[in-house]
Amino acid sequence: MVESVREKEIIENITKNFKVDVGIQRERRIWVKSPSEDLIDLCMFVKNKLGFKHLSALSVTDWPKKGEYELTYHIWSYDDKILITIKTMVDRENPEIETVSKIWGESSQIHEREMHELFGVKFKGNPDLSPLFLEDWDGPAPFRKDFDWREYVRNEYYSKDNDRESAYFGRD
Amino acid sequence: MSEESPQKKVMKRLIKAIWVFNWFNSCGFCELVPLVGSRWDMERFGIIVVGNPRHADVLFIAGYQTLKSIKRAQRIYEQTSEPKVVIALGSCTMTGGMYWDSYNTIKRLEDYLPVTMYIPGCPPRPEAVFEAVGKIFKHVEEMK
Amino acid sequence: MQGTMEKIDDDTYELFFGPAHPGSGNFSVKLKVDGERIVSARADPGYLHRGFEKLMEYRLPLQNAVLSDRICVLESLAWNLVHAEAVDELMGVEVPERAKYIRVIMAELSRIQSHLIWYGIISIGTGFDTGFKLAFGYRDFILDLFELITGGRVYPAGYICPGGVRRDLPESAEEKILNVLDKIGKMIDFERAENPANLARLKDVGILNLKDAIRLGATGPVLRASGLKTDVRKEEPYEVYDRFDFEIPVRKEGDAYARFQIGLEEMEQSVGIIKQALKDLPDGDFIAKEFSKPKLNMKIPEGEAYIRNEIGRGEAGVYMVSDGGIKPYRVKIRGPSFLHIIPVLEFLLRDAQIADVPAIYWSLNGCPADIDR
Repeated sequence: MVESVREKEIIENITKNFKVDVGIQRERRIWVKSPSEDLIDLCMFVKNKLGFKHLSALSVTDWPKKGEYELTYHIWSYDDKILITIKTMVDRENPEIETVSKIWGESSQIHEREMHELFGVKFKGNPDLSPLFLEDWDGPAPFRKDFDWREYVRNEYYSKDNDRESAYFGRD
Repeated sequence: MSEESPQKKVMKRLIKAIWVFNWFNSCGFCELVPLVGSRWDMERFGIIVVGNPRHADVLFIAGYQTLKSIKRAQRIYEQTSEPKVVIALGSCTMTGGMYWDSYNTIKRLEDYLPVTMYIPGCPPRPEAVFEAVGKIFKHVEEMK
Repeated sequence: MQGTMEKIDDDTYELFFGPAHPGSGNFSVKLKVDGERIVSARADPGYLHRGFEKLMEYRLPLQNAVLSDRICVLESLAWNLVHAEAVDELMGVEVPERAKYIRVIMAELSRIQSHLIWYGIISIGTGFDTGFKLAFGYRDFILDLFELITGGRVYPAGYICPGGVRRDLPESAEEKILNVLDKIGKMIDFERAENPANLARLKDVGILNLKDAIRLGATGPVLRASGLKTDVRKEEPYEVYDRFDFEIPVRKEGDAYARFQIGLEEMEQSVGIIKQALKDLPDGDFIAKEFSKPKLNMKIPEGEAYIRNEIGRGEAGVYMVSDGGIKPYRVKIRGPSFLHIIPVLEFLLRDAQIADVPAIYWSLNGCPADIDR
């Protein structure tokens, strides 16, 4: 297959320049695990040298047991038709990372703004991290694993004495 | 001739045509907007959508309300002139519906706004909306 | 336009577009205006934020299939498909051939339906009421098909579920679909007739060049209208899209009219795809064995999947992580409108005229529900 040749080339290119874990997940999917210090250099390289121009999504996965947030950047190349996933870990208690908004422009800026609101990750250098969806929210970052929605909703909206409403939450 | 209360006099004037202001979240959009289209054509029943709550007799609150949108809904309710009828569409306005465990949606609309009538369904069919509006007509006729 | 005005200084005023606007959905843009010129625009989403991504962490994949309809109501079947594919990939399910064809048919019907809404809303925004009423009338024929096949008019209740589709096509479906497609063909002819109202309001308005479009994260019709020939269905064929013959419409101008034209051409292509799919529709199962009698404690193997699909509005994505439990560990939903309606809209509105706001806003075909999720 033509694609898999190009995928191997990309992997070789990355391993030549960076000390990172790389692999092919399946056709058109490459993942890279990078330490957070190398992230900006790696992203610059991926965008400018390898032509990954479209930041499709930026996601955060919360791993409370490891005490870490996993940041995943999904980047698509319009030329090679390949999606590269860059993963990096940040400390959960003090989540700080350099912004990629200088590399991918406004599209990454808005993704970072969303993740800042939902997970509380600070993106250093991002010009605008004001809340996007929530108004007057002073609770914890709502998408963290340790914020239990069902418990919160039960205290906030439902009455514990009401049998019918308790049925929503199962027996406990 | 029987005596008519001033309220009925006002309502009788209203009954000829009902002017509706929509405050819809997404599911309300996809079932209330077809009502205006050529298939259902609600104008044949005298229902007209207006662009300003101050002109409206009936306020449709459609779908789940988030904490942010309920504040706007309350504003719109205040702006609607008396006499007014509030119709809530969809299961989400009654119990929270699908989003019963979401942290950001309200669960019962009547805790926030006086609701005259609920239309159940997820989302309610256009016929259900017509029936609800028909009930307003009937309600006014039966008024003393 | 539902708006309030607030004075900032002697020259600049703040004007609100939305959220109580009959066409904007629940979304608002705060505009700073100097006379008729917009100095800057700031999008204000969040009226529909329910937190789908986390709601899905509390539910089983089969329940999530039902939840995934609601991500964007205007294209519920397309979102059904993205979610189902993510679970399929994680669980390594082999989807039967017939199910793949049915999925394609439903996804394309959903695209036509969504583009009819788009046409209707652009029409009402540009003061062409007839177009709006007709488009919504014709859309109802497709909703009737949805009701026949899935049981729901707008929410299919997880019709496209992990492993295939929930029910086979009814016997009469093929004939009825072809019948509706004929009617839609007439509607497309009507739409393609050059309309002075649309032309005057949309031509040379909101021009987005290719470089900006990529930087701002535009996808789908918006990007194609700026001149890049790209379509996830061609580049990364999912289901059975590689077996069909269809074109990707592209325009160079990048203005609102180009985006509007792309929408019309895509509808034609979708009609073609559905006809081909109906012709080749194979016999067989419509759902994989594991899912035909689903168990409640089915484990999702550890791993992750990122699925991209082309829906009517652009690129939709679902990133799903599993830690080996029965529920997904993390779901990230990537909606196309999130980038179209925040960065792209803010960029296009700068230095535009107030009268052009509806034309620009609706030519981007935003769905507030998939911004907020």
